[in-house]
Amino acid sequence: MARWGMVIDLRRCVGCQTCTVACKLEHNLPPQTFWRYVIDAELGAYPEVERRFLPMQCMHCGEPPCVPVCPTGASQKRPDGIVWVDDTVCVGCGYCVVACPYRARHLVLEERWYFGQPTPPEQARRQPARLGVCTKCTFCMQRLDAAPPGAVPGRDPAATPVCATSCIANAIHFGDLDDPQSSVSQLLRTHKTVRLLEALGTDPAVYYIVG
Amino acid sequence: MGVQKVPVYCYQCVAGPDLLNVVVEDGVATTVEPNFAFAAEHPAGGRICVKAYGLVQKLYNPHRLTTPMRRTNPKKGKDEDPGWVPISWDEALDMLAAKLNAIRAAGLLDEHGYPRLAVTFGSAGIPVAYMGTLPAFLAAWGPVDQDIGSGQGVKCYHSEHLYGEYWHRAFTVAPDTPRCRLVISFGHNGDASGGVAGVWRHAEARARGLRWVQVEPHQSVTAATASEWVPIRPKTDAAVLFAMLHVVLHELPWQEVCDVPFLRHFTNAPYLVGPHGYYLRHGSSRRPLVWDPRQGQAVPFDTPGIEPALEGEFRVRGVEEGPDGHCWAHHAARCRPALALLREHVRDYTPEWAAEIADVPAATIRRLATEYVETAAVGETIDIEGTRLPYRPVAILLGKTVCNGWGGYECCWARTVLAALVGALEVPGSILGTTVRLNRPAVNRLESVRPGSDGFMAQPLNPTDRERWQARPRSRNAYQTLVPLVANSPWSPALGPAHLPWLFLEEPPEAWPPPTLPEVWIIYRTNPVISNWESDRLLRQLPRFPFIAAFAYTVDETNWFADLLLPESTDLESLQLYRIGGTKYIEQYWRYTGFALRQPVVPPRGDTRDLTDIATELAVRTGLLAAYNAAINRGAPLGVPLQSPLYDLRLDLERPYRAEEIWDRICRAATLSLTQGREEKDLAWFKAHGAFLVPFPERQWYLHPVMAASGLRYELPYQERLRRVGKELRARLHERGIRWWDAQLAEYQALPHWKDFPDLWAQVARRYGKDPNDYPLWLLTSRSMQYAWGSNVSLPLMAEVARHVQGHFGVMLHPQTAAAAGIREGDEVVLEAPHGAQARGKALLRQGVRPDVVVVLQQFGHWATPFAKELDMPTLNQLAIMDLTLTDATGSSADLVRVRVRRA
Repeated sequence: MARWGMVIDLRRCVGCQTCTVACKLEHNLPPQTFWRYVIDAELGAYPEVERRFLPMQCMHCGEPPCVPVCPTGASQKRPDGIVWVDDTVCVGCGYCVVACPYRARHLVLEERWYFGQPTPPEQARRQPARLGVCTKCTFCMQRLDAAPPGAVPGRDPAATPVCATSCIANAIHFGDLDDPQSSVSQLLRTHKTVRLLEALGTDPAVYYIVG
Repeated sequence: MGVQKVPVYCYQCVAGPDLLNVVVEDGVATTVEPNFAFAAEHPAGGRICVKAYGLVQKLYNPHRLTTPMRRTNPKKGKDEDPGWVPISWDEALDMLAAKLNAIRAAGLLDEHGYPRLAVTFGSAGIPVAYMGTLPAFLAAWGPVDQDIGSGQGVKCYHSEHLYGEYWHRAFTVAPDTPRCRLVISFGHNGDASGGVAGVWRHAEARARGLRWVQVEPHQSVTAATASEWVPIRPKTDAAVLFAMLHVVLHELPWQEVCDVPFLRHFTNAPYLVGPHGYYLRHGSSRRPLVWDPRQGQAVPFDTPGIEPALEGEFRVRGVEEGPDGHCWAHHAARCRPALALLREHVRDYTPEWAAEIADVPAATIRRLATEYVETAAVGETIDIEGTRLPYRPVAILLGKTVCNGWGGYECCWARTVLAALVGALEVPGSILGTTVRLNRPAVNRLESVRPGSDGFMAQPLNPTDRERWQARPRSRNAYQTLVPLVANSPWSPALGPAHLPWLFLEEPPEAWPPPTLPEVWIIYRTNPVISNWESDRLLRQLPRFPFIAAFAYTVDETNWFADLLLPESTDLESLQLYRIGGTKYIEQYWRYTGFALRQPVVPPRGDTRDLTDIATELAVRTGLLAAYNAAINRGAPLGVPLQSPLYDLRLDLERPYRAEEIWDRICRAATLSLTQGREEKDLAWFKAHGAFLVPFPERQWYLHPVMAASGLRYELPYQERLRRVGKELRARLHERGIRWWDAQLAEYQALPHWKDFPDLWAQVARRYGKDPNDYPLWLLTSRSMQYAWGSNVSLPLMAEVARHVQGHFGVMLHPQTAAAAGIREGDEVVLEAPHGAQARGKALLRQGVRPDVVVVLQQFGHWATPFAKELDMPTLNQLAIMDLTLTDATGSSADLVRVRVRRA
């Protein structure tokens, strides 16, 4: 069984938000909901100041704090490491939203449209089941699960999260952390990486290359 | 109906086109994705940028105009509701055709010789990828004024366009990023403006260790990813570049660090310059002379086997050719090689001198100059597809405000001379040109290289001699009269001083034909009220235009003044074949070249029409069908004629064709011509496959092999020809009593001197009766990748994702500056320029902004465009001052203005 994970090269990211918008379209997310986005931040004081970009999303933690707090069992971790929410079970209590230290869970209570009324694609892809339940990055598991025979996640676009396939800086890499031959494993072996809030014991599956 | 993936191209920014699939589910376009079928051929793995993901919302935007509209309120003004009423296409086309036919009846030129029909396009040349066969209609029409500006000049890389193409066929310049080791970028914001190819190449290069130094007043997106940020005072870049020249030529052992063979044989560095500042020439052949130390005498520059001197002073017999055929014959003139003059020229431009001006430490300037020459790897070579070429992995880039307007010439010159000194020009690793727009053919810049005079490339300068100079301007920005460098290609009108028509309407110059308005002005994919500088001037003048027909996506700030709105089918609804690949701005360097199709992914919304069909209808209604079809047959839409020895796909001149028929023939002609008749792909094939490509040799990225094979030199560092051209232009203008262009004429210097460029803006404040010290801040702008060139400002999706990028949507200023004015984060602030114009926005406090600088992203300030008018975003264009004294010799200015700021 694979353990899916991501390696994001911070040396490459330019904060363009292409991954942000690609994710929004792939998952038909309503206005003001972002399953991922890129933080654009400053460190230091003029003239010794640095501007840094940091892509943020669900870390698909090995020890996800959002799962044990779920009173219904809707919030789950799959054997392949993907943390997801069964929206047929979720009651939208919001415990997981509070528990997630990465602010990666989103509760949308009512339908929202970009122009007040739904456009044809918004109408065509309406998802009432996602209202009042927790939603989040799924590592595009619908793509992984429907991968064509022989397609390798992380290599073949049809079987890879859209944030990775859309990145114009080739900064986002996806693959099997347990496969030493995968691109993500090779990147981890050859680069200095960090994980966010590792001290919390969350065991994130998202690594950031910093050198 | 299921799910279909429809291949199209996106050319919403100049850094395209890129290839994508539109996902159509049960007849509704839902999302887009990269067209990975071309991942191996595309320079960025087939990816598409953030703007392309807005195309679906652009298609279904409910604020779109979907039927032609006629104005009912005869009064025009910002506060006058146009009173739009919908009309049929027949009514709309009849209305426009009646105006056009009236022009044809009266004569195509007005009483002052200006075309009665004017058209303006925006977005840096993008519209040609969307306007179908409209170019064929304009070609059939006759003289059309394309001079009325929409912001070009200050919004493009203007000096680089003109001088870059002049020196090395470089309409824009890019580093050979995959092989470069050091980039010193003066404000070039390539990670926002470079498109997917630029971003991809930069990222790959950073990951392998490219060092990138960003010199600019605020930390742009590109500074964020740079190895080092060097804050600099606005408009002082030339001082730092001059000081770098000083370091190389006076503080370092220049004979050791420079590429001396390159200087000797590929530049005019050894050309002897006489006492009047012109090349000393051979008496009979008039070839420029160089000094041959072995023979101890001057010989023509192209004498075989010589190693000409780069230093020294010599007494030489020869002739100098000045302006207007004036010659000076010398028996023993004192003359020196151009390089010796260059060394003398930069002697006083020390790092300490520049540090005072630019607020960049002298040690930093010395370090950068030294690092530059040490990284240049002078003497190294590299194999490119079996050809051994010099390898010089260093590049200096210039940003928009750096290479535009006053100081632009100085910066472009110093940058290109620094490249020439180490041979880092048009070779692997170095700076490269991308494409040509003033020279022909435009398809491949290498093919535009032809031998000219004095060992240089032939240049298509507008003539300045008494016999051929265009004394009476034939179009409203007078580019052929005032700007020799801008040439006379189809792109030249837009690259002339395109703001002059607006300026002259209010301030008619002396000894000049009276400014007139076009009787019909057609605008497409442009919104000059937002994109032009000093937009208030446009608001005052637009009500005077007799008739404006606007191809319109939504109501906007310019078509608010129109008489007729024509809703064209937009990006995903219409049909067009366009060139891709080869080399093209900003960093589109492909190993393939060919054509891509844009096609309707769903039926057009409402009653919108394909621009090709609109153009055909106009041709029919104006009696120009035969000339229009003939223009298509000649290749007006794409540059591919429909007839060649290999094929004959010509249209019958007498009958109108639908867009599908026209583009089918163009598809077939394009592929036949690209493959020398071997392959023919029709429209149906393109609709299924998206693009057709053939290999493009990588060695064609570089101009150097062509220059070497042709025995040609770069016209650097000495600008003898421009000196002569400037003198002639001065004489022509003065002969007609024109003195208002004198300041611009001063730019024609063989070796440019530093001028106090920042002070020009202070002087403008004084002209308005203000103390410049009361306007202590520089207002600058910066590129937004999410918006630049995209015509997508009415999309909430773009605003939503752009908000994650600093600067959207507000006024960026340093906390210290803010504190001094009692401003806190989020406060509404008022920016005021010396001429009284004001703009408002929310304060965004940033450490990465010099304390003497305020930054707003371009281009906003909307008040009519749906959704965009709610963004509460100021724009520099509301405050920038349009003024002749801020116009340089190329006809551009720089995107900045002095302001003061206060809390609202």
